[in-house]
Amino acid sequence: MSTPPRAVQSGRAAVAVALRVLGVTALVGVAATVWLGLFVTPPDEFMGNLVRLLYVHPPMAWVAFLAYGVASLASLLYLWPRTRAERFDRLAGASAEVGVVFTGLTLVSGSIWGRPTWGAWWVWDPLLTTTALLFVLYLGYLALRRVPGELHVRARRSAIAALIAFIDVPIVYLSVEWWRSLHQAPTVLNPTTQKTYVHGSMAWTLLLGFVSFTLVYIWLTAHRYRLAELQDLEDTEGLEAALAERRAEAVAG
Amino acid sequence: MNGYVEAGYVVVLGTLGTYGVTLVARERSARRRVGAGSNKARNAAGSGTSAPAGSGTSARAGTSVPQGDASAREHRAVEEEGPGSAPRAMSP
Repeated sequence: MSTPPRAVQSGRAAVAVALRVLGVTALVGVAATVWLGLFVTPPDEFMGNLVRLLYVHPPMAWVAFLAYGVASLASLLYLWPRTRAERFDRLAGASAEVGVVFTGLTLVSGSIWGRPTWGAWWVWDPLLTTTALLFVLYLGYLALRRVPGELHVRARRSAIAALIAFIDVPIVYLSVEWWRSLHQAPTVLNPTTQKTYVHGSMAWTLLLGFVSFTLVYIWLTAHRYRLAELQDLEDTEGLEAALAERRAEAVAG
Repeated sequence: MNGYVEAGYVVVLGTLGTYGVTLVARERSARRRVGAGSNKARNAAGSGTSAPAGSGTSARAGTSVPQGDASAREHRAVEEEGPGSAPRAMSP
């Protein structure tokens, strides 16, 4: 038994400090987004004050896509024999869980915006429906991760499920182009017209929202990853303690 | 201000805040349990028999989980006590 090497300890301390700095930066960024979004930016010509919800709603959707992209990439790296490592499985699980939280918030914030705008909390619009499907698919992925099995078997099937679920992400993004949709087309950069429809303080606030919530995503995923790492370690140590106890009992008996 | 706008911000910020705080609390709790589990393994190993290969803090120092990980997971699944529980001794 020995304490971890000094390099490992200092590495851990550096990660802890970096995470703390990241957390504070994300918090300041979100606070600034809220302040600008609620009190500084002007009301929209058509939507009025409801436009203020759009400083958080698109960033939620973007972060969800990012989270699922990271989960898919990590899953791919796990499935690739040359890069297979447990850390990629853990990263995929952590990122997907955070992605599910952000997808849920995308649906809820969109619904709150839709009620006064469209007159309904929910409509079976292609974008909304495919987003709800995305939410359910990744909930299924998280459930699949909890199905008992050997570590590599569980990680392998989870990785395949993550890649299958990711197919829905481009469908969600392009659904407003493919089908007739009640939801508005992309505003920041419209792929058809190649124009942006957000300007001035509104554009900067929206951009800050994207950056801040991305930082929040990184912070949450890092903590979720560390929690998964500790849970794995706890399982291993618990088993070893139990085995050592049994051996001691056998020797004593 | 619009009530819908306020509700949207409260839901988004409240959910993210609650999730973040919960994660940090679970992480701290798991760290404490891992420390306690490590001491338990050390005590058990020191009371009459040698510790199994790869046990104790050597596992904690590395980034990957040692060989016992798969069976440990199966053990946890059998016990069905959730991620926070310390596994009990395995049945023969």
